[in-house]
Amino acid sequence: MSAPRKVPGRTLARVFWRCLFLQAAWNRRGMQNLGFAYAIDPALRALYPEAARREEALRRHLGFFNCHPYMAAAIVGGAVHHEEKVAAGAEPGQQPLQYKQTLQGPLAALGDGFFWTALRPFFGAVAALLALLVGWPGILAALAVYNAIHLVLRVRLFRAGYLKGDAIVGDISRLGLPVAADRLRAAGAALCGVAAGVVVLRSLALAGGPAGIVAALAAGAGYVALARGARLLPIAYAAVLAGIGTAVLVGRLHGSS
Amino acid sequence: MGYLVLALVAGLAAVERKGFLQAMLSRPIALAPSIGWALGDLEGGLLVAAPLELLWLGAVNLGAALPVHEALGTAAIAGGAVLAGRALGGGVAPEVATLAVVLCAPVALLGRKADRLVEIWNERLAARAEAELAHHHPRTAVRSNLYGLVLPFAIAAVLAPLGAALAAAVVPAVLRAVPQAAGPLRVGFFAFAALACASGAKALRARTALALFFAGLGAALVVALVAVLARGGPA
Repeated sequence: MSAPRKVPGRTLARVFWRCLFLQAAWNRRGMQNLGFAYAIDPALRALYPEAARREEALRRHLGFFNCHPYMAAAIVGGAVHHEEKVAAGAEPGQQPLQYKQTLQGPLAALGDGFFWTALRPFFGAVAALLALLVGWPGILAALAVYNAIHLVLRVRLFRAGYLKGDAIVGDISRLGLPVAADRLRAAGAALCGVAAGVVVLRSLALAGGPAGIVAALAAGAGYVALARGARLLPIAYAAVLAGIGTAVLVGRLHGSS
Repeated sequence: MGYLVLALVAGLAAVERKGFLQAMLSRPIALAPSIGWALGDLEGGLLVAAPLELLWLGAVNLGAALPVHEALGTAAIAGGAVLAGRALGGGVAPEVATLAVVLCAPVALLGRKADRLVEIWNERLAARAEAELAHHHPRTAVRSNLYGLVLPFAIAAVLAPLGAALAAAVVPAVLRAVPQAAGPLRVGFFAFAALACASGAKALRARTALALFFAGLGAALVVALVAVLARGGPA
């Protein structure tokens, strides 16, 4: 066993920066394989001065990899943790791969369920509602809060993965992401309802009573149609046509009375 | 010049959407106002931002599934609406936005098809990286990752201005030829925006989404009614 090698802090910062490009060359065969190899490369260069060992390490990280892009920060950090041990001769070369294979599926499911189907849509709904009520400052505020949460979590996951390796599983489970996701989804649905109310009120104010009724009907009937499996764009076109048709009809009735 | 600016912003948004960062900067709520601001009409971009965000709230990249390209659709719609509004001399009114949505929303579907091409291109990049590593060129191998950003940028930078150009040509022509269509189109915009809110609630997949959506809608209407009554009736 040789002397332990540590990746310098500056190099770790570079690895984290490169994590942000994880999906740059996403493909169906290796998925994020190229992105992972790109991200971890500075650490491998620091750990393996010998070209042959460095190439061998890079080769193992060019294999299949797919995870949620935010949660993957934990796996990249953990892979660096294991590569330090491999470089020092404390672990076999297969260990970083095993770590990646074990964690990528569960963390992908957790990340998709929390970030993509809960936190981001929730903040999308918040930003949309604030845009309707207060304009662009509301959007800026919502995006600032979302990115503060997302970037802090991304940095912390990377740090925890690097410092703790396999023990990171406990840290992530303590975050309680599935419970938070359920609450965010429910709150987001309510916010969309409030946004629909604002649209109905605005249509009443700007285009008259029939427009308000059409908007309320579009919201209600649209939800029911989508829940029954209707496709989004055809339904959107139908809503526009219904609005135009009603306005034309009301205009003719007014004209003939 | 406007089309060049639109191409640049749409290209950068396409890169941010999947290849780099993913900080919601390419979501419709951020992209539409950015395009409006870049083209000199922030308010025009804001008008379409909220409905498009809610319409495509469920457009997320889960695993290998490809959603519609909401960033490309938004860039074409917002760009088209702003340029058409400018041609009409009055900014982006709801009737202009309605026509821009109707004409340019399918660009989002076209973007999804283009994403498949990008994946094929990226597969070649991955194969090339493996070959470079086999030839002992590790730096060249890992750098291949960044070349994956080129095609999404180029596709969005071409398709978004094309969609916007279509709207900028058709919308003013329609509204000049049939000025009485403006009123009905305005109502169509509000119907579209309300439907978009329903789409957002549905996309959140909450167990009680239906009840929460209607509760939110009802609460907003009741609060407005109380506010009106407190002021002593409608103005």
